[in-house]
Amino acid sequence: MNDLIAEVKQLIIDALELEDIEPQDIDADAPLFNDGLGLDSIDALELGVAIKKAYNIKLEGNSEESKKHFYSVTTLCEFIQANRN
Amino acid sequence: MVFYFNVANWSAWADGLETQADWQQWQAGEKQLADELNLPALKSVPPMQRRRLSPFAKVTLHCALEAAGDDASHVPSVFASRHGDLHKTTALIEAVAKKEDLSPTQFGLSVHNALAGLFSIFTQNTAPISAVAAGESTFIAGLVDSLVKMQINQYAKILYVYSDLKVPTCYQNYVAENEKNIAIALLLEASPMEQAQFSLAQTKLSQSEHTLELNGPQAFSFIQFLCSNQPALIQAIQQQTWVFNRANG
Repeated sequence: MNDLIAEVKQLIIDALELEDIEPQDIDADAPLFNDGLGLDSIDALELGVAIKKAYNIKLEGNSEESKKHFYSVTTLCEFIQANRN
Repeated sequence: MVFYFNVANWSAWADGLETQADWQQWQAGEKQLADELNLPALKSVPPMQRRRLSPFAKVTLHCALEAAGDDASHVPSVFASRHGDLHKTTALIEAVAKKEDLSPTQFGLSVHNALAGLFSIFTQNTAPISAVAAGESTFIAGLVDSLVKMQINQYAKILYVYSDLKVPTCYQNYVAENEKNIAIALLLEASPMEQAQFSLAQTKLSQSEHTLELNGPQAFSFIQFLCSNQPALIQAIQQQTWVFNRANG
């Protein structure tokens, strides 16, 4: 799980071009959107595409279910682990 | 019809030519275009917004924000580009060809009026904006459009922004060899005839004069005119010929 967390942090940085942010700057349990990392709705779409490419998992951009998975790095990793392969 | 105007402020960015002082030296023959385009730091744009800006967006917004100065939050504007963000569009088309998923961010920022939209978001400016593309005459077509818009609507000022980068390799056979990287923004100001720095009017020229005057990319010719004491600049929009005159000092 820790490996996956590190991987997803790097994926977020690369896919969203977070130039000045290092993986250790991202708190795995903090909200990704609005208050926490400060991502927006376009980032959610972009991240959905990146996760689909990397893990072959489809996340619907605007469903209530997806919002829960997108909450933090940890929730995202739990979702990826449960659904990959 | 004659349009009278001042250039209240301006900013231009090309390979190695980044400030008004650089352009003055270029005009005087003391400085040449470099081989590479640097990118402006664009510190006034918050990092979370800046991260999405392509080289094309960065040079254009730098010039727009610098030329507009304190007027950025309310001045009406015209954005012109022949090719738009063609490097971005090409990457998207290549992804389509490979049947890959398209990046939503890239897609959203690839439309022709994307820069006008970004400018409006960064500056909270809700004044009218339009986007112009007019082939090889885009620079002058956009400038004429800006001056007409300012006069018809009786604006005190209008911001004119033009930018084009060299096209991606796969398109290079379809454009003139002398295409260059250039972004320029002019803060144009309406002026009564007696106090105007410049005037613009349509003119008629013989074919020979016409070809004589029309070598070189239009934006560079205009900057040359702006930085020098050259009395007039003649430019074409397809069959139309326009002449800019400098008021006698």
